[in-house]
Amino acid sequence: MIIKIVEIIAIPVLAFLVGIFFLGLSRRIMARIHWRYGPPITQPIIDIIRFSYQESVSHGVIFDLGIIFSLAASIAVVLFIPLGGMCALSSSGGLLVILYLMLLIPLGVALSSGEGANPNISIGISRKLILSLGYEVPLILILLTLMTRYGTISIADIVSQQGSGWTIFSVPLFMSGIAYFLILPAILEIRPFDMASAPQEISSGHKVEYGGKYLAIITIEHAFTLFIGLALFVDLFLGGASNPLFFFIKMLVVFILCIFINAVFPRFRIDQAIRYLWKWPTALALAGLIATSVMW
Amino acid sequence: MDRNQITKWIKNPKKMGSKYSLWAIYFCTGCGIIEIPPILTSRWDAERFGIKPAPSPRQANLFLITGYVTLKTLKAVVRTYEQMPDPKYTVGFGSCPINGGMYWDSYNTIKKLDKYIPIDGWIAGCMPRPESIFIAVTHLWTMIDKGIADGYEKYKEKYFYYRKNQEKALGELDWPPLHPMKKKEEGQ
Amino acid sequence: MNKSLKKKLESDFDSSVEILEKNGWTITANKNQVLDILRFLKGEGFDYLALISCVDWIEKGEFELIYILSSYLADKEKMHLILKTRIPRKKPDFETTIHIFENAEPYERELHELFGVNFNGHPRLEPLFLDRNYKTPPFRKDFDTRKYVEETFGSIKSVEGKK
Repeated sequence: MIIKIVEIIAIPVLAFLVGIFFLGLSRRIMARIHWRYGPPITQPIIDIIRFSYQESVSHGVIFDLGIIFSLAASIAVVLFIPLGGMCALSSSGGLLVILYLMLLIPLGVALSSGEGANPNISIGISRKLILSLGYEVPLILILLTLMTRYGTISIADIVSQQGSGWTIFSVPLFMSGIAYFLILPAILEIRPFDMASAPQEISSGHKVEYGGKYLAIITIEHAFTLFIGLALFVDLFLGGASNPLFFFIKMLVVFILCIFINAVFPRFRIDQAIRYLWKWPTALALAGLIATSVMW
Repeated sequence: MDRNQITKWIKNPKKMGSKYSLWAIYFCTGCGIIEIPPILTSRWDAERFGIKPAPSPRQANLFLITGYVTLKTLKAVVRTYEQMPDPKYTVGFGSCPINGGMYWDSYNTIKKLDKYIPIDGWIAGCMPRPESIFIAVTHLWTMIDKGIADGYEKYKEKYFYYRKNQEKALGELDWPPLHPMKKKEEGQ
Repeated sequence: MNKSLKKKLESDFDSSVEILEKNGWTITANKNQVLDILRFLKGEGFDYLALISCVDWIEKGEFELIYILSSYLADKEKMHLILKTRIPRKKPDFETTIHIFENAEPYERELHELFGVNFNGHPRLEPLFLDRNYKTPPFRKDFDTRKYVEETFGSIKSVEGKK
């Protein structure tokens, strides 16, 4: 019981630290790819400290509450993902609950930022919601494939059943693994799918009216979103890990591959993104689902 | 740079935070804006100082006024400055905000920007080299350490005089006063 | 072709042609015939109006309007023509050339704002660049810029000394 409470408090803190480290690492690696030095790896923490000491302009009650709603949804999703050997709420739901709660994150931001009267906000938030609709379709097919193969909806069970070989190397499910890796940049919102908050084009979309404290909360939530997308991939396809250190190393390898994709691609338009997301990853995931349901 | 000294962070995180994460609002004033992209790209890298271009005044910290300011631009400058949250720092870049520069006898540009919004420091030159922005930023850090970079507080205290100057230059302003206008009595 | 153009311009219209270089001519014309000359030149292949500008001859009491035309014909050489006329300075009225060249509209608006030249028939003579109205238009030679700067901007006191 005590261990459970300690885990419920420690896991979001650990996820936040890992997410912030990945944000800083991404800026440093991108700078090195551009042949320049970059900011130190702790720069996002300095940014969050600066944001929280600046005054913030509020546009009403829903403006304050919507962003807290989104942050609460992201913390709730983190509690259902096993992290190394620890899992806070492993026996209650698992994959279905994560599927529901993941969509609340952009909805909370939409509620909150819609209070500002800037037209850039409506463009940015419509792009973010359409993008989350885009990656939900192949994601549902992939998760259904996993549920069919392993016969359970609890992620901790899936991790423990991968002791005899990772999912990504087993025969009909490697297609689902490749499909998940193809939609991973859309979940993490890195290029080519970062049109939702495009700083050069639409003045950073939904973040344009966020002042001091709200910007700190959005940065924290961006760190959690990074953690969620990568941790799901490592748990479902790369076999999880027996202690947090190996889990973290596996996440780091996947993240560095995503950073290399970020450095090379320009930005898609939103209709090009939806056309891509509903074509090849969906086809691969559907093929994986049909093959799995025939074999098992 | 004392970015790694943890005791200073614990003692005064507000000062250290606003020093090492200066986001400059990307407001392209005059001819000096041609010196800003070389700073942000690979050769003279500004991101190692923590400087990033901010897309919106609500997220920004530092306002670089990079060239001559005409009367139409002055309206936009004042509105942007008032939208930025405290604490904020302004730097006049080039010789045109100092005393008019090359356009000292023009009917359309303002001569001394310090009369309309408070400015913390100036960089002389027409145009200065990109390295001079880094010297100015390190100088701004020492000013923030000593506590003398308080342009935003001066704006709050003496808002009556700033607004009067703005109305004299621009005519009738169509936005309400930002801070309460109280005029100190003489001899107080 | 060039010889015949020069002869036709000098004989039909009351103008004098001066050849500055091989591809650039200057035509000085009477102000009543400017529109006819422009129509004729547009028919000859000079269908691009590059600029309308103005010079202030304050001793003679005249404004000089300048039209710069250029031809982009493929089979002939590229030529520039500069057409000059003089209008009186006390009451500077002129006709608009929008029905011949449609892109004359912003140039005439600019000249109205900065010099005070009135173009009859222009649909929209509003300020284009400047923010306010000046007593004398600012590009005229009798507008004293230093006195104006002294009065408007020098009279604003700086905030430093106030407590």
